[in-house]
Amino acid sequence: MLKNLCTTQLYLLKGANNLKQQVRTTFVLKRKYEPLLHKTNEKPRRLRAKHFIYELVEDTQVKKRPNMEVVLKTFVEGVGDKGDVVSMKPYFVYNKLLLPGLATYKTPENIVKYSKTEAEKSAVQHSSAYAQRTVNMLESIVLAVIMNKDEPWVLEPWHIKASLRKAGFHCKEECIKLPTERIEGPDLRKENKEFSCIITINKLEQATLKCRIHHWSTDPSERLPYVFEHWKLPAEPLLESSQIEAPTSNVQKPTVK
Amino acid sequence: MLTLISTMRALAVRQQSGEALRCLHLTAVTEAARKGTREKARKKKVKVEVKKVGFIPHNQRDKKINVKRADKHVDDSWKQVPKDDVYVGRYYRWPVYTVAEAIQCHRETHHPTMYNVPNASLNVEIELNMQGEKATRFVDNFQRMAMIPHKFDHGEERKIIVFTKGNEEIVEAREAGATLVGGVELIKDITAGELLLSDYQFIIAHPNILPELVALRGLMKRKFPNPKSETLGVNLAEMVVKFSNGISYSATKDEYQQNFGLIKANVGTLDMDAQHLEENIRFLLQDVNSMRPKRDGRFITRVLLKSAPSSEQLKIDPFVYIPEFYDKTAAKVSREAKKEAEPEPQSKEAAAASN
Repeated sequence: MLKNLCTTQLYLLKGANNLKQQVRTTFVLKRKYEPLLHKTNEKPRRLRAKHFIYELVEDTQVKKRPNMEVVLKTFVEGVGDKGDVVSMKPYFVYNKLLLPGLATYKTPENIVKYSKTEAEKSAVQHSSAYAQRTVNMLESIVLAVIMNKDEPWVLEPWHIKASLRKAGFHCKEECIKLPTERIEGPDLRKENKEFSCIITINKLEQATLKCRIHHWSTDPSERLPYVFEHWKLPAEPLLESSQIEAPTSNVQKPTVK
Repeated sequence: MLTLISTMRALAVRQQSGEALRCLHLTAVTEAARKGTREKARKKKVKVEVKKVGFIPHNQRDKKINVKRADKHVDDSWKQVPKDDVYVGRYYRWPVYTVAEAIQCHRETHHPTMYNVPNASLNVEIELNMQGEKATRFVDNFQRMAMIPHKFDHGEERKIIVFTKGNEEIVEAREAGATLVGGVELIKDITAGELLLSDYQFIIAHPNILPELVALRGLMKRKFPNPKSETLGVNLAEMVVKFSNGISYSATKDEYQQNFGLIKANVGTLDMDAQHLEENIRFLLQDVNSMRPKRDGRFITRVLLKSAPSSEQLKIDPFVYIPEFYDKTAAKVSREAKKEAEPEPQSKEAAAASN
């Protein structure tokens, strides 16, 4: 127990090197009325009451604190990979990284200790800090794929790409993998039916994206009636095989109307 | 004796001054004002009645007061630059497309298999920083006509009337597509009231007819041909083509934010050649940039390409086509060039006037 304590203390002391910040009780003040200069070889004049009126120049308590640098112990979503030295806001660092034990203070020892080993480097699990967030967001939406009601079409990856761009997601055509079956139209039996396609991020992470087909006509009078918040309603699967793939729909975020 | 007189005099003087003093103190300084004066003052006072204001619904309140509005100049430079090949747009800077890419994106959404509007018009939204040379001065709203190399159907009816004396020029202007071309006889028709000038949106004139045209100055008012708006010149055919095919656009300042100006213009249709559309955009941007105030910093802040019915707005980089910042030397050169070019028509006008 005592040994443990000692070691933690040692680490604390090591960490303390980084924390060369002043105690934030300092207020920088300025005299409102400057006292007059005194004569040479004479005592300084007596200060009057007014000479003790001050003006606030700076309150160090409300000053923006500089970023802190820490070494990550593991992969943290939205921050970085193991062994990365990241610079973040101090409160975020303390509450979200240091307290949960995801990172330590940046010291030469810590950098060496938590740097990635060769084995870890070869076994890549995450392509980037934000890929997982993109996966989560892609899986949480229901993408509306708007296809024409009058012209014949076969669903292609670029249709999904354009629909994703309208929904605020940017991706390349190569990243999209459609179901193996051909999806053809226009077919009003396919209206609002769900299928899923796979989006590959940085050729590593994969996200299953739920898509629903909607028919749209250029002529306003030919258009289908609008269903209020259709993305929240349960939908039937479009393809037989994708029944297993498609998870039961929860309450989803709105995408494209 | 002398001393006696002097003391007497002093006494007399003192006495006088004493009287004067007494007079001063006896004036009615502390006494209250006369009755009539009080009445007058009371009448002068206007009773301020405090009107009780009942509840006003929020949508009917005056919108000009106490409303904090977001700055319309969007700056997303604090956001990250995406590194992944798939990313959520809202966490990153807007992607900047080349014109060709943006047109391709719009063509995808307007493809027959999706929206099925392949001939939709391509709209450009140009956002301007309307601040003038001083921080408190702003560029006025302006309306202009940009000449474009590749014409398209802009859907507007533009009637052009051309005034000139020379027979060759009449033929030339008519071939270029002017609605009505004529000389002195046309002016007579207008003064007689047989022809209405208000039917024509654009009035173009050759300097040789200017002395006769002065009679119509009152009727034309602001439409009176002048070299500044490029309605008075020697090259009639070019001007007619410009006014019949050009992009007419107007920059309007925001109602609440004086330094934010917006231009909405149509530059063509999506089924036109992408390079032709790019050329049109280039000419439009160069024309807008000619209105730039003489100050540092950007004038055009952002350019978006839009195409209904899709709501997509694709940002393009305008500084491929125009200089980003104010170049003093370039402005000087262009001004000198203008000065050199201007005396020509003026001298011709003078010659015409003397004739």
